[in-house]
Amino acid sequence: MKSKTSLPAVFISPSMIVLAVLAFVPTVFAINIAFQDKQLSSEDSHYVGLANFIALFSDRRFLNSIVVSLTWEVMTVVATMCIAVLLGILMFEAASARMRNILSVVFLIPVLMPRVSAAFVWKFAFHPLFGLAVYPYKAITGQPLDLLANPSTALATVAFVDVWQWSLFFSVIILHLLESLPHEPLEAAELDHARTWERYAYVALPMLKIPLISLTFVKMIESLRSFDLIYVMTRGGPGIKTETLDMYAFSQGFIESGNISYASSMAVLMMVATTIAFTALWKRVHA
Amino acid sequence: MARISCSHVCKSYGPLEVVKDFNLEVEDHEFVVFLGPSGCGKSTILRMVAGLEDISGGTISIDGKVVNDLLPRERGVAMVFQNYALYPHMSVFANIAFGLKRMRVPREDIERRVHEVSAILGLEALLERKPAQLSGGQQQRVAIARAMIKTPAVFLFDEPLSNLDAKLRSHMRVEIARLHKRLKTTTIYVTHDQLEAMTLADRIVVLRAGLIEQVGTPAEIYGFPRSRFVADFVGSPRMNLLDVTVGEAPDNKWALSTGHETFLVERGRFDLHRGMRAVLGIRPANLKSTSPDIRLNGLSGIVDLVEYLGDGVLLTIALPGEPARQVTALVPAEAAPVAGTVVGFGTPPEAIHVFDAETGKSCRSAYLGAAEVGQSMRDAS
Repeated sequence: MKSKTSLPAVFISPSMIVLAVLAFVPTVFAINIAFQDKQLSSEDSHYVGLANFIALFSDRRFLNSIVVSLTWEVMTVVATMCIAVLLGILMFEAASARMRNILSVVFLIPVLMPRVSAAFVWKFAFHPLFGLAVYPYKAITGQPLDLLANPSTALATVAFVDVWQWSLFFSVIILHLLESLPHEPLEAAELDHARTWERYAYVALPMLKIPLISLTFVKMIESLRSFDLIYVMTRGGPGIKTETLDMYAFSQGFIESGNISYASSMAVLMMVATTIAFTALWKRVHA
Repeated sequence: MARISCSHVCKSYGPLEVVKDFNLEVEDHEFVVFLGPSGCGKSTILRMVAGLEDISGGTISIDGKVVNDLLPRERGVAMVFQNYALYPHMSVFANIAFGLKRMRVPREDIERRVHEVSAILGLEALLERKPAQLSGGQQQRVAIARAMIKTPAVFLFDEPLSNLDAKLRSHMRVEIARLHKRLKTTTIYVTHDQLEAMTLADRIVVLRAGLIEQVGTPAEIYGFPRSRFVADFVGSPRMNLLDVTVGEAPDNKWALSTGHETFLVERGRFDLHRGMRAVLGIRPANLKSTSPDIRLNGLSGIVDLVEYLGDGVLLTIALPGEPARQVTALVPAEAAPVAGTVVGFGTPPEAIHVFDAETGKSCRSAYLGAAEVGQSMRDAS
């Protein structure tokens, strides 16, 4: 139906303009200064072309942060989805309706916590001397266990907190998705000699393919924005072992050197890379 | 091939008892239909046989083996669901092959058997399609193929035709009948459609509120309903039921009087007593047109509604008296009167059914009842 009046446009345009300003002005500003040599400490700046971008690719810390970011992304997304699916199925199989409701509420609590508070809670839980989570190790071996200071465990430990927050929440969503499925195909599979795991692997989960993919995308986007969690728990440390792209950009721009242009060029690169990656994935999944 | 035996089976959800003391023996090769209105427990019994519902009490055995605690896949049963229950993300081929794959049947065997089964059901051209691209009838054929391919000992059908339109339903009914003739697999078929029950069944089990009302061949169920409920539920158009009071009549007969009409029946045929309140039943097809001033074994009234059915016409006739009573009669189309006409209908006394008004049970004498059933079975065969 084609509208004859311009009334919809009148109502929509103010909010669209506000949104456009909020979204595009900082983006354009960031792109603009990515091509300059702007410092936090001085007002004047010059255009330096692609110098910042070229410098990035010989910066070992930048290359390290790409690896950390990718590891982080894969680790958190895969772990969250696997645990959520398993927990969801477990609740669907084993819990009574009443138990499901109770668990759903309990499992929602972590994700309701602001991430900074969750980070502080767990940082304290992992404290080598007072931490509850590492207390058993200390009690048994007499040695303190500092997971966050150990280069080989730091990233996984931070990832654990992220997975704790999101996988429990997703398991509740998956439980409700399973509940929304028609019973009959699952019963038919039961009569078709399918074992329990086969019923889920071949019937229930494929029937939930689209919502599961959407959940994965949500988690992928969410995992990209885990700056606050990492910042509170490790600040990128030990060394640069947990320094993701956004951590590194932040420290280049505001903490260590105040090199705003260099940081912006990283942000721009990240934006372009994620846009391309997500568009490609989305197209592939919905092909 | 297998016998199914249910003894003292009951099912309750908390305090709600949906199946009460259900006893039934299904013979090898037999096609048994559970017939009853919604909520009578027929699907629940079927699902208990399949293993999809726990059995609250009693035992179910298949081929002599108690299956109460066996998983569905260990019972050797296959089931066809009302809404097909196909796996929506799989092709028709994968749907049919799913069970065999889970049973670790070699790939070549699966291919061969899927092609055999799809040839029988005319699905060969559809094997690559997804269920959503099929019509309802085709989907149900896929569901039957999926059940058939496992060569189960028992087939279970849970209202398989309810979601199809009338034409397709009668077509699929014939296909199911043909399939049973060919495979001879012991079958339990649940439906609320009496036409399906009558045409398909070797024996019909009429259920009501979790209890068996009557078990018998279609001819027995139709010809000798054991209760008012069965009489009312089976047969289309429905049996006419009139409240009567029993009186004695000469020549060793009972006089059944509605107050306006009187019907005379042989005393030996019914266990009645004087002054008893009863319900008289006559099937619409057993009312034969006669003179409007009929006094005995007949009734007269004014034609209220004329429904054209093709070969015949169904007349709804308003009978005199308060409260308003009506009966229906099936007459040949060419002899149909117009609405408003005063008509009279007579019935042969053998076609009269009598039920106890209080218990709803048939008043037919036990001995004679059995003899008549025997006669009717000889007639049928």
